Amino acid sequence: MGKVTGFMEYTRETPARRPVEARVHDWFEVYQPFPEEKLKTQAARCMDCGIPFCHTGCPLNNIIPDWNDLVYRGRWQDALQMLHATNNFPDFTGRICPAPCEAACVLGINDDPVTIKNIEKTIAERGFEAGLIRPEPPQVRTGKKVAVIGSGPAGLAAAQQLNRAGHTVTVFEKSDRPGGLLMYGIPDFKLEKWVVQRRLDQMTAEGVEFRCGVVAGVDVPADKLRAEFDAICICTGSTRPRDLPVPGRELRGIEFAMDFLPQQNRRVSNLPVDTAAEIKATGKRVVIIGGGDTGADCLGTSHRQEARSIHQFELLPQPPPTRSSTTPWPLWPMQLRTESSHEEGGIREWSVNTRRFIGDERGNLKALEGVRLEWTGGKFKEIPGSEFVLETELVLLAMGFLGPVQEGLVKDLGLALDERQNIKADQKTYMSSVPGVFAAGDARRGQSLVVWALAEGRKAARAVDQYLMGSSKLPG
Amino acid sequence: MGLISPPPHHDIYSIEDLAQLIHDLKNVNSQARISVKLVAEVGVGTVAAGVAKAHADVVLISGHDGGTGASPVSSIKHAGIPWEIGLAEAQQVLVKNDLRGRIVVETDGQLKTGRDVAIACLLGAEEFGFSSAPLVSMGCIMMRKCHLNTCPVGVATQDPALRAKFTGQPEHVINFFFFIAEELREIMAKLGFRTLNEMVGRSDLLDVNQAIHHWKARGLDFSEIFHRPEVPERVARYHCQSQDHGLGGALDWTLIQQSEAALERRERVDINLPIRNVNRTVGAMLSGQVARRYGSAGLSQDTIYCRFNGSAGQSFGAFLAKGITFELEGDTCDYMGKGLSGGKLIIYPPHSATFVPEENIIVGNVCLYGATGGEVYLHGMAGERFAVRNSGAYAVVEGVGDHGCEYMTKGVVVVLGRTGRNFAAGMSSGVAFVLDEQGDFGTKRCNLDMVGLEPVQTDADLKLLRTLVENHHQYTNSPRAEWVLEHWDTLLPKFVKVMPKEYREVLEKSDKSGLFLPAPPPPVAAHHLGSGDAGVHAIHG
Repeated sequence: MGKVTGFMEYTRETPARRPVEARVHDWFEVYQPFPEEKLKTQAARCMDCGIPFCHTGCPLNNIIPDWNDLVYRGRWQDALQMLHATNNFPDFTGRICPAPCEAACVLGINDDPVTIKNIEKTIAERGFEAGLIRPEPPQVRTGKKVAVIGSGPAGLAAAQQLNRAGHTVTVFEKSDRPGGLLMYGIPDFKLEKWVVQRRLDQMTAEGVEFRCGVVAGVDVPADKLRAEFDAICICTGSTRPRDLPVPGRELRGIEFAMDFLPQQNRRVSNLPVDTAAEIKATGKRVVIIGGGDTGADCLGTSHRQEARSIHQFELLPQPPPTRSSTTPWPLWPMQLRTESSHEEGGIREWSVNTRRFIGDERGNLKALEGVRLEWTGGKFKEIPGSEFVLETELVLLAMGFLGPVQEGLVKDLGLALDERQNIKADQKTYMSSVPGVFAAGDARRGQSLVVWALAEGRKAARAVDQYLMGSSKLPG
Repeated sequence: MGLISPPPHHDIYSIEDLAQLIHDLKNVNSQARISVKLVAEVGVGTVAAGVAKAHADVVLISGHDGGTGASPVSSIKHAGIPWEIGLAEAQQVLVKNDLRGRIVVETDGQLKTGRDVAIACLLGAEEFGFSSAPLVSMGCIMMRKCHLNTCPVGVATQDPALRAKFTGQPEHVINFFFFIAEELREIMAKLGFRTLNEMVGRSDLLDVNQAIHHWKARGLDFSEIFHRPEVPERVARYHCQSQDHGLGGALDWTLIQQSEAALERRERVDINLPIRNVNRTVGAMLSGQVARRYGSAGLSQDTIYCRFNGSAGQSFGAFLAKGITFELEGDTCDYMGKGLSGGKLIIYPPHSATFVPEENIIVGNVCLYGATGGEVYLHGMAGERFAVRNSGAYAVVEGVGDHGCEYMTKGVVVVLGRTGRNFAAGMSSGVAFVLDEQGDFGTKRCNLDMVGLEPVQTDADLKLLRTLVENHHQYTNSPRAEWVLEHWDTLLPKFVKVMPKEYREVLEKSDKSGLFLPAPPPPVAAHHLGSGDAGVHAIHG
């Protein structure tokens, strides 16, 4: 809410990114600190809307105008409390959320929206600095045991909520460290891993047990999980990558983005990487296929690994530079986004289809053959004569994900799937076709944002609590 | 400057008061339709019947859903009931009492669709008010900032920078109403109606949607809402005749006739007439004629100078326009100077009176309600709620009853004597000067919630006060004023300036001299008196 006339007096200002030439040589976060006084004037721009659309623009329904007002008035502790009321991990979303709240901000109708994301991050960071974010173990234990499968944002949110409701929560994680995509996937220059670890430490202190390096459904069979736990919440994400089955796909040098990105996270954290399976862009001509966020992460990572050249291809045509008229306020705008990675270099091309990969005699990728497309009415046609061959040693496939892994847990539990091959569970009960087994996050809704995963994790936790106890005091 | 919202109507405490207001308004502009807005609530039918009897042209049954963005949350959430219920009741009571034919029934409160219009019509309305929905069609986003001048889409603001952001077009509103009309037409066609009048009050065509299974809907009985009173065929069920406003016998017809030279040629006219308390709302119709010709600028001072003698009725000098002066030897009933619009009122007791003027009431209650300008000099006491909601008039009086200067927002009031309790309650702007001889005004008589008390010190204040008292003396020949002027230096410390806190803040923040209240002009030097001697004596003579 802030100052009544704030939006008329101040203009939008966000933290500056570090200079490209400096940041491409390290793995630290790209954003510079933002002075507190400036942040207060940014919070003052919030208008105390009669109907605040940011509430619903945000999947977590963050109570944004209220904490904007508290920040403007310097009541940081109250702001933190209000922020935590709807969001377990504002320190994550404050860094990596694409901020649908800002797209829905009423000020955005005819002006630049409030810098909600930056305010959110600052509230959380000040909370940590002041020692206000402490473990909050439950006063009473219910004696119920819940298994959360997967420790990505959905799993962490569900686990923290369930644990705070008094249930004994065990989180199963197939990797050696918890965090899912937050830990292995999102590059360090977007989310430094101490940020994640800080929350893992908090949860451990609250009494959540993490069992890492355990593949639920394989290392611990499904029936044993059922026997040991009163409820199971599956938050395994949408991890099956979409492939590009064109001639030459079997060549060496064509990799999935999610095989590439985690390796770099491990290197930054000084953890060993399997040298036989090592994927590095250093000195190579890299082509990233897919123009989304994962593609952008591959781009930034390749820059930092000092690739010789980088192309990023997208099948769809180039979106308009500003909000398209098909997605008016307060919808999420269809428009060209220039992330920090794009700023750092590389060539972005739209309306490009990859026809085949060309290898050398030893089975290594040498080049790819592409063709340019013409889009009309949502359908594309290859433009005759626009075929081209681009020499490349590394192709990274970042074309989206098709759903959760079904072999193992999902099949053994006999869970029904929806038409998109995600675990079938409605948005009210979050319960799968098997009573006592719940699903949340990308495993249920398909690939999406961290903020959606947090929202689902929280709501599923409430549903689980209701299932176990008959009623729930958890929000959601 | 803040205003008290919702506004209290201290001029309406009974249906008779309302009838008087309607009469006043009809006098000042006989071409205007007078609409009375009622909140839909239990018993609204009885009130609507009263409104019809009070000769309103339109009664508006307003539902609980609406409200401007400036409404307090308490009003938005807790005032009223759905218009459907209030409208049904109003229609039934009006038909049963054979009053429906002489009044138009309108409804509003979040009407959004042609279906809403059709239902409202079947329940008894023939006019329909829309505002939120067409505003939204123009770009309103319901910020609820209409009162803060910060509407970010330029709908409800005076700020040029914000108004530039307004993207609405008339066509958006036209489109919206076309859709409303089209949907209504479709429904009318289905029901077989050719005109809205045929449809009014046909609640027998409404039914309850059986598909609603919500537990709260269980046990609801709509029969009272759908009830149609059984009345003979001759009883009207929709508006088909006009009200008799009884303007024919007004004294103003004589005034207008005698003022022809002033109205047509701005020439000065002097009128002398006796007056009785059956002469209600004297001056309003004449002021309407002045306004019709010369707008709010009116005529120059004292162009139409009327002297009356006797006991005036209610609303003496209501809406009196600039350039008209009423001088009355006698007294008046309530609402003297209601809505005073620049005219001048001078009232003093009959010469033959033996009472002490400053201890006896010579004008009734609720004087100067909603006055926007003009001057008033009263040689005697005023009743209760003197200058309530005064928004610009200057007044000198020698004593007032309880609740003086209530909700005042502008103007100056000088009281040269005792006040009643609760002086200056809700007073957000303007100033009052009170001669506090007993020294108990601050402790016993003034409501200090919104005002502070100060001595009269600045040159501007001294000039203002002195001028007003001098004017008062010259106009009314008041011995009290004379005494005050004679003992000016000793009495000055006993004058208390009542200063609204909010007004003080605005003055301190702003250097706009327009916010200061200037002294009124002195009387025109006796040119109207026909005697060369500057003279108060001549006024009475």
